Amino acid sequence: MRTQINPQVILVFAAIIFFIGLMGVLVRKNIIIVLMCVELMLNAVNLTFISFSRILNHLGGQVSVFFIITVAAAESAVGLGLVIALFRTLRSVDTDSIELLKG
Amino acid sequence: MNMGNMMSFIKPELLVFNNLMFKSSAPYLWVLLGIAFVIVLSVLNKINKKWFVFIFMLVFACLGVRSAFQLMNEPAVLLFNQMLVSDSFGSFFNILFLGSAIITALSSFRYLDKQEIQHPEYYILLLLSSLGMMLMASALDLIVLFIALEIMSLAVYVLVGFRRHDRKSNEAALKYFILGSVASVIFLYGVALLYGVTATTQIREILKHVHASQGAMSPLFVIGVGLILFGFLFKVACVPLHMWMPDVYEGAPAPITGFMTAGLKTAAFAAFIRVFTSLGYGTAFSVQLQNHFHDLLWVFAVATMVVGNLVALLQTNLKRMLAYSSIAHSGYLLVGILSGCLNQEGYAPLLVYLMAYIVMNLGVFAILSFLSSRDDTGLSLYDLSGLSRRHPVFSFCLAVFLFSMAGLPPTVGFVGKYWLFYSAVQAGEVSLVVISVLCSAVSVYYYLRVLVYVYMRDEVSSFGEQRSLSIFYHFAVGLMVICTLQWGLMPSSLLQIAKKVVMSF
Repeated sequence: MRTQINPQVILVFAAIIFFIGLMGVLVRKNIIIVLMCVELMLNAVNLTFISFSRILNHLGGQVSVFFIITVAAAESAVGLGLVIALFRTLRSVDTDSIELLKG
Repeated sequence: MNMGNMMSFIKPELLVFNNLMFKSSAPYLWVLLGIAFVIVLSVLNKINKKWFVFIFMLVFACLGVRSAFQLMNEPAVLLFNQMLVSDSFGSFFNILFLGSAIITALSSFRYLDKQEIQHPEYYILLLLSSLGMMLMASALDLIVLFIALEIMSLAVYVLVGFRRHDRKSNEAALKYFILGSVASVIFLYGVALLYGVTATTQIREILKHVHASQGAMSPLFVIGVGLILFGFLFKVACVPLHMWMPDVYEGAPAPITGFMTAGLKTAAFAAFIRVFTSLGYGTAFSVQLQNHFHDLLWVFAVATMVVGNLVALLQTNLKRMLAYSSIAHSGYLLVGILSGCLNQEGYAPLLVYLMAYIVMNLGVFAILSFLSSRDDTGLSLYDLSGLSRRHPVFSFCLAVFLFSMAGLPPTVGFVGKYWLFYSAVQAGEVSLVVISVLCSAVSVYYYLRVLVYVYMRDEVSSFGEQRSLSIFYHFAVGLMVICTLQWGLMPSSLLQIAKKVVMSF
């Protein structure tokens, strides 16, 4: 017999992943890793949508996930483009070296 | 799973796309068509791209404005399975967004030449981000709202980093990208939680749920609303979520800074009004929850006004000063949000203030784009010394805009502030209005200090002779001056439009 994972467990799991991503954005120094953490947060939201969709027996959440995946792809494309542009002028991907604008 | 239940939210009668719906979605379709057309133009090799792309971008934006004007008096029409609505509220904001895109394009044409970054992508991204704003103001579904927010933001991230050989511009773009995308994701998590409670992402369905539950909110719902509120407060740069704004404003190209102050903030407020009135703010929340949100917004509004105005006093870079002044204006606009649900004029004063805000900011930044030098410097206070001798007309226009920002008559800024504070007093927010007026009095100092440098100091630097003056700058600045003075002297038409728009909503 197939074992079913309780959707509520997945909800908690998604919340944990979301906060891991948030913490990663706040504390990590490497911009590439920060971008990965943003993606992690987006995927945690996807998991939340899917498990709510399962709990509520409603298809809307699963449809939303497709849109979110598309947006996430566009976002990482723009983000990596900006990182490359910064790397060309700065020669580093460390957040500590971003220092010109202050006040 | 029960398929019938799962499919129940797709209503077949709403999936048709009839003539009326086609007409109602005309502004969006014109802009979309414009984007596609300009992309095709920009990859052709045989033509002079610069002029063609610029002119066609303006033509399509004007067509969008024209059809939005025609839709102003039409009744509301639901589009795309109730995902979007075309009503006068939406059309009003569509006109504002496309208008700011047009003025921004006019003031960036020579600026881009000067910076040697005249690429056709600039105008495409400008149109794309205004499309995102238009969808944001008329979305009725939180997922559509999120996608619109991302369309707008992704285009603006690239525009902020458009001077890509400049380190400042790149740093600003990346900072904005990381913070902005985190805020969007937090907003989205709020949407997911609301979906979990109400089994829908459509804001009207959520309102029905709120009405049905009679104020008994689950904690999940409150957290979801809180996260959505966080997303909006970030986008309008409320203290303490404002740290990104001065850096981004300083690093971005000057015309884009103007576009961000005008467009992004207005879009965020438009969506704010639509979502929060629809989520039951002011009508359906329980008294306790209503008070909680009221107090929360009250604290945010006061902090934003005080910090924005006080820090602006210390700035010597004009773009940074205007960034802090824009934060302070967010505070005044939050006063409008707070009092909007408590008096009979509703959000009409807020709309008038937004219009005033857009007009004066676009005007100031058109002048700044003209004044900025080759590497986008030359925008500190001292560089403006003796400007009135070099450019008497532009100095006069700058004076008009700064008087308007400070809220002095006879400008539109005065009308906006007067009506906003008057309605807030009517709503019983007296202490809030006292704080706002005091902050506004402080702001007069840093606005007029610029004019002291412009009119009363001797010229120190002599660069600026090589700046190419063009008809586009004159047109953009002239139009904004006319709007500022016309609406300042004869505000009744403006007030009437705002009232009508709010009534339709």
